[in-house]
Amino acid sequence: MAIQNLLLEAKNISKTFDNVVRALDAVTIEVRKNEILSIVGENGAGKSTLMKILVGVYQPDSGELYYGGRRIPFPKNPIEALRRGITIVYQERGVIPHLKVYQFLFLGLEEKFTRLGRLQLEKIIGITKSVFDELGVRCDLGSYMYELPLSIQKMVEIARAILSIRLAIGGESSDITPIIILDEPTAPLSIEERDELFQYILSLKKNNSFIFVSHIIPEVMRSSDRIYVLRDGKLVAHHDLSIEKISEDQLFREIVGRVSYYELYAGHEYGIAEAKGKPIILSVRNLTKKGYYQDITFDVREGECIGLFGPAGCGKSEVAKTLYGELLADGGKIIVDNREVSIKGEPHSRLSRGIGYFSGETGKELFLYWPIKKNVSIVNFEKVVRRPLKIVSVISFKAEKILAEKIVKKLRIKAPSVEAECYSLSGGSKQKVSVGKWLERSPKILILEDPTIGIDVGAREDIYEVLLEMKKNGISLVLVSDDPKEYAILCDKVVLMRDGKLQKVYTNEDFRKVMEL
Amino acid sequence: MSNNLRKEAVIIPILTSAWRLIKGNPAIWAIFGLVIIFSSVVPERFLSTGNLVAILKNFAVTSMLAVGPTFVILLGSIDVSYMGIWMFGGALVWLLYPYLGLASIFIYPIFGLLIGLFNGVVHVKARIPSFILTLAMTAVLAFLTTYVRNVSGVLTLTVPAYNFLRESPIPYVPSPFLLALPTIAIAIFLMFFTKLGTYLCAIGSNEEGAKLAGINVEKYKILAFMFSGFLVGLGSIAIFVHLGNQTRVDFDPSELVRGLAAIVLGGTPLAGGMGGPHRTLLGALVYVLIFNGLFLLPGVDPNHLKLYIGALLLGAVVIASRALKGALIA
Amino acid sequence: MKEAVLSRERFQRNLNTIIPITGLILLMIGLRMANPYFLASWDSVITLVYGMSFFLIAACGLTFVILMGSFDFSVPSVLKLSAMIFAVLYPSIGFLSIPVALAVSLVFGSVNGLLLARFNIPSFMATLATSMVAEGAAQVISGGYTRMITDPAFRSLSTTMIAGLPSIFYWAIAIWLISIFLTFATPFGRAIYAVGGNLVGARLAGINVKMVRILVFMLCSLFAGISGILYASQIQAGHMQVGVLDMIPLFASVVVGGTALTGGVGGVHRTLLGVLIIRWLDSGLSMIAIDLNVRMIVFGAIAIVMAILTIDRRRIKIMK
Repeated sequence: MAIQNLLLEAKNISKTFDNVVRALDAVTIEVRKNEILSIVGENGAGKSTLMKILVGVYQPDSGELYYGGRRIPFPKNPIEALRRGITIVYQERGVIPHLKVYQFLFLGLEEKFTRLGRLQLEKIIGITKSVFDELGVRCDLGSYMYELPLSIQKMVEIARAILSIRLAIGGESSDITPIIILDEPTAPLSIEERDELFQYILSLKKNNSFIFVSHIIPEVMRSSDRIYVLRDGKLVAHHDLSIEKISEDQLFREIVGRVSYYELYAGHEYGIAEAKGKPIILSVRNLTKKGYYQDITFDVREGECIGLFGPAGCGKSEVAKTLYGELLADGGKIIVDNREVSIKGEPHSRLSRGIGYFSGETGKELFLYWPIKKNVSIVNFEKVVRRPLKIVSVISFKAEKILAEKIVKKLRIKAPSVEAECYSLSGGSKQKVSVGKWLERSPKILILEDPTIGIDVGAREDIYEVLLEMKKNGISLVLVSDDPKEYAILCDKVVLMRDGKLQKVYTNEDFRKVMEL
Repeated sequence: MSNNLRKEAVIIPILTSAWRLIKGNPAIWAIFGLVIIFSSVVPERFLSTGNLVAILKNFAVTSMLAVGPTFVILLGSIDVSYMGIWMFGGALVWLLYPYLGLASIFIYPIFGLLIGLFNGVVHVKARIPSFILTLAMTAVLAFLTTYVRNVSGVLTLTVPAYNFLRESPIPYVPSPFLLALPTIAIAIFLMFFTKLGTYLCAIGSNEEGAKLAGINVEKYKILAFMFSGFLVGLGSIAIFVHLGNQTRVDFDPSELVRGLAAIVLGGTPLAGGMGGPHRTLLGALVYVLIFNGLFLLPGVDPNHLKLYIGALLLGAVVIASRALKGALIA
Repeated sequence: MKEAVLSRERFQRNLNTIIPITGLILLMIGLRMANPYFLASWDSVITLVYGMSFFLIAACGLTFVILMGSFDFSVPSVLKLSAMIFAVLYPSIGFLSIPVALAVSLVFGSVNGLLLARFNIPSFMATLATSMVAEGAAQVISGGYTRMITDPAFRSLSTTMIAGLPSIFYWAIAIWLISIFLTFATPFGRAIYAVGGNLVGARLAGINVKMVRILVFMLCSLFAGISGILYASQIQAGHMQVGVLDMIPLFASVVVGGTALTGGVGGVHRTLLGVLIIRWLDSGLSMIAIDLNVRMIVFGAIAIVMAILTIDRRRIKIMK
């Protein structure tokens, strides 16, 4: 390899959190001059830990860092990393909407442009203009950030990253190639905006190096020079696209890993609902939200599970959120039990029509400081309420407790009692409480978003068991997840989505074949 | 667009921002509207010299209460301690006059700064909602003022020695207005010519993002409260002189609303992130014009003042709430 | 390690209960020592009951709102307006003025609720504005002066003695008990805690957040209205002196009881404790001839200290 091109080298980096979780295990990567390097992997694969070590947010347990062949210590904070020419553009929350473009560009960098406390605005605006001319960012300097399209906002953020490195290094900026880490830069962007952003990044390649952190495969394939694949904290593959060609499928399999199909569910039959001709419970017709998804149409039968599958950013989670009323669609129809549901409804009106929502994100839907029993009964008032005078509903504490105990026992939740507050439970148990309440409620349709994210294998299996039982009881499921195994276990049908459109419908069997699960 | 940028780098932004200022500030249209309405309905009373001087005076008082707290509102927090600083600061001036002489008037800004520091530190470190904290502060200071009046056995806390401040060197321009000018100048300077204004907007707009950009958020939050207190203290000198070298000794909630209404009417949203003292000045003018003109109209009963103030604030917050859509509000 | 953290958290949570109870006991001992007549005779008990009953009703309403994580400034003003409507209309339409006063209170409550739920205006700001409107309305209908009513029937509403205690006591306790029942044993009460504890979660669990907010503000204003009517009957007048500043002891009694400002923690049952502490402290301080202004300062300070102690900091990322 051409050594003179080598810019940064991080060798054998390991990092362990709380002495238990091995986030990174002897990972070695190198960054070359003027390239776009991609680091791909699932959530929790260790991508962001690695990046945070490079910019000095975390310190590694072991490892070495070389810059231009010379060994250097790991940066202790982001400012030190900045002086070495490394910085990061975060996925979201980095943009400050109500600042003007030049204010945002110089935010936190004003030190050198202040005289006696007074900002030298002319100088700042002048530099902004020249930087934008040089980098090819086209926008009105006086407009507010929120007025700009999201792709331009991202470009300004990247310009800010370059500028901050230049200012941190000082005069001899031409000798140093800035390394800019882009953390999931395309996550909030619509499809057209992504193209625009990639053009921009490619145009900046001649003076900078980019590390592109992502799990959106087509984008990675299209723009990168080299790709590293991380899985469970380990480096599993390295591809140099200039000398080898790989397919999207191959990359995908490297990212998710090949784990044998869970024997536990081998006995489960798929496609029964359709074979038995069960009635259609949920029909989605031409559901559209501009910039996110178009013309989504599918049916779900009683006791059937449909998975919306596709790379991140394909619009699947937006569709799920729309079904539950968190996101408003622009057009289309949602029909439950042959009656149309207003697409402008809120979650409570959807629930009254029988659509429930379960997300694996802890703390989002769980009341962490409530005892288990209250978390269970919040959606199950019908079951625990007595009406002694016909007009007032009274919660029967006894019924509430019995109900919660039933669920704790059934789902094998490890808790001292149903009075235990949820924050003291383990991650898996929290998730089980969340899903248990829906098991009792038995809505007609349950929308699942990443139902098992961030929990251990044992708890996962328990949750799959519950969800499969729900199916047997006639509850229809709509699944959105990042894990293909989950689709293989739960779904009767898998709908493939890409770029906001439906592509193909697989049966469970076909899906497994395609995925080689 | 980039061709335009090749021109003089300074003039274009100034021109565009001037246009933005007019376009983005409904308060300017409101001021024109109010002036036209009142000068056509009650021309001889509204446009009389006496009334115009009164407007200037009232503008000075209202803006002095509201300009400082605007910096805190930029953060998305709120500071209503201005009533307390104004009231008890005056009591302190009165108490210390025998010892410090004429210099005791400088107690005002110092006292404001200290109260601001206290508010800021308690809000940031103990994480108390700023509104409750500063309201309690105002209440405590207001009651203290009344208490000082009660125990000292006088009716008003007047310091006649400052009478020379009441005479204005410029005819028709009341001295409270002149005394208000330094506060306005400092506020505008802080907002537009130092990084403080930018940082406060940044924190109010996206606190997490500001942290990621390397801003010491806690420090700037405390600074905002300090400048708020300091500016209110400095501005209170104008109010002190306006009221006849004395301070208020009984708490009146409608005075409290006055400052908030000026901020909100000016167009600084309660969610923070945008606006600034310039808008508050416009808002104060709107507020003053409304009430000045209202009571010149036949059939308007000054006894119903509170009703009007309440209705005005209600209307103002409803209008200002447009910027809050989608946020989770308690 | 984790156990230590948990037990410390538990202690922190129990502080909300420990402080008010210790405070109450210390206060009783202190008052008894300072004044041997404190609670020595039945008359003094009745005086205390008069002092706290109307207050308890209004505080219960406010507790609902604070539990939900919002704030209602308009309580004292609506109380005053309702008292004034009752007193002003009583000579002409008698007890029919009660439903009128309550209806007006409900209107204020629903406006508060709508401003928050529909227009997304922070509740403290919205209620500050409506409190000014209520104050102004009270001023307008009364003409600005206190309306005395000498009719014994008017008075009997709150002062009829039943088993040695005035009827206002039973009204207050009944409303307190109903409030406890509402918060603990009904889905509506659960929804209040849910909205205060985790707004996103409450939405996802299918709770109609807007409706809950509006209903809670209406309930709060209704209680303020009831409190105003009973208070007017107790003092035989619609009084102009009550007002926004009574917010301080009212607010103090809610947080002193241990209800956290951030919502979701505490309860109406605690408010009785807070009301007892604040009213006893008030009467104790006035017994030793402490100026009203100083008393208010004391309450304000107590309220802030308790608010600092009871706030649930783990839940808040950004405090505005």
